[in-house]
Amino acid sequence: MTELLGLRDVVRGFGGGTPVLNGITLSVQREEIVGLLGRNGAGKTTLLHLAMGMLHPHAGSVRVFGLSPREHPVAVKKRIGYVAEDQVLPPAAAIGDLFALHRKLFPSWDAALERQLTDRFGLRDLRRTMRTLSKGEARQVALVCAVCHRPGLLILDEPAGGLDPAARREFLETSIQLLNREGTSIIFSSHHMGDVERLGGRVVLLDGGIIRLDAELDALREQHCVAMIPRAPGLDQAAIARLPQCLRVRTVGNAFHAVFHGQPELVQWQLRDTLGVADARCERVPLEELFVELVGGERQEKAS
Amino acid sequence: MQLFIRPGDDLPIYRQIMRQIMDAIAGGRLTAGDQLPSHRDLSEQLVIAPLTVKKAYDELEALGYIGTQRGRGTFVAARLPRAAAAVQIAQIEEAARALVSQAYLAGMRLPKIVELIKDADREISAGPTLHDRKERNHR
Repeated sequence: MTELLGLRDVVRGFGGGTPVLNGITLSVQREEIVGLLGRNGAGKTTLLHLAMGMLHPHAGSVRVFGLSPREHPVAVKKRIGYVAEDQVLPPAAAIGDLFALHRKLFPSWDAALERQLTDRFGLRDLRRTMRTLSKGEARQVALVCAVCHRPGLLILDEPAGGLDPAARREFLETSIQLLNREGTSIIFSSHHMGDVERLGGRVVLLDGGIIRLDAELDALREQHCVAMIPRAPGLDQAAIARLPQCLRVRTVGNAFHAVFHGQPELVQWQLRDTLGVADARCERVPLEELFVELVGGERQEKAS
Repeated sequence: MQLFIRPGDDLPIYRQIMRQIMDAIAGGRLTAGDQLPSHRDLSEQLVIAPLTVKKAYDELEALGYIGTQRGRGTFVAARLPRAAAAVQIAQIEEAARALVSQAYLAGMRLPKIVELIKDADREISAGPTLHDRKERNHR
């Protein structure tokens, strides 16, 4: 397999305290789609900026197409495309000028693809300047700029963030068509679990500076379950957390919610057998639920 | 054949595709030799990753419901897999018993159970309507 993006023991912080990324090792192969999940501040953007060479690691190494984005910024940037929610294209530039600039920068620029995408997006008047565009239109221009040089790796940082549902779906449609035609690898961050399920592939969950979970989406969905265990005398969070295959326990009101790697029936049996819990409810849950259970906060019962 | 995908569902998307294609075959909406869209076309139509559709097709092929002919496409199998008739009947009897038992425990009476089975028959034979899918969403 060909590694497109490789991070080894990467540490990156901002100021004092625990680094945002505190020992990240991640490898993205050709034709893979990797969804980067995590709460706000978990380090998703930091990780993508490291891959882009916009930030440098304090420790560890970053390789894109086998090169350091710090030492070979041009060679690396030629082979990646990047779209981010907070990306700002020059407000005074006309759409057509931006495309012309990219055409000049990238010898591999595909003019037919550019025309096809501008038609699909309805970007008819290329004389319009960036400042006159809606958020959705600006993101579409950014996408055209990011993909028409046919990059091997597309880096999308919350690409559909702030877009209305129709614009989000259009963005997704375009990404999937590119995937079909070009075999581009994608690493993207998103808070929309529906989009993550649609793009599929591999899911990487960042939490507390490390990778908490790295699994195929379908395996994640089918091999994990959540147990809802009513609180009872003599039963504490630590006892549940000690069970093999338990990934996390948190308190929600008068119950413990625990995420297990395993089939619901077996987890239920294990809970009864080892802890004497007879009234636990174990089920497989949608990705959004699983995400909340893995990184959501505690919700203690109100003090009485 | 129209497929519906719901990303937030309990079932992963590839399983939703598998189930709907198997329902369509069971209900006669897809018959032996019918061509399925290519996995890339279906992925663009449903706006999901091509590998997800491919996974559903691969699993259906492994189960014997569809087959791929190199260069021609994917088709519903000419001969559908059949477990030994006796085994199959025994399994269905067992499932019927479990269904009736569960329904009685939930306080249903026989006419209601029959009504539910007719609903299921209509959905499998005629294909799910948007209404059916919405109903299910709220279950």
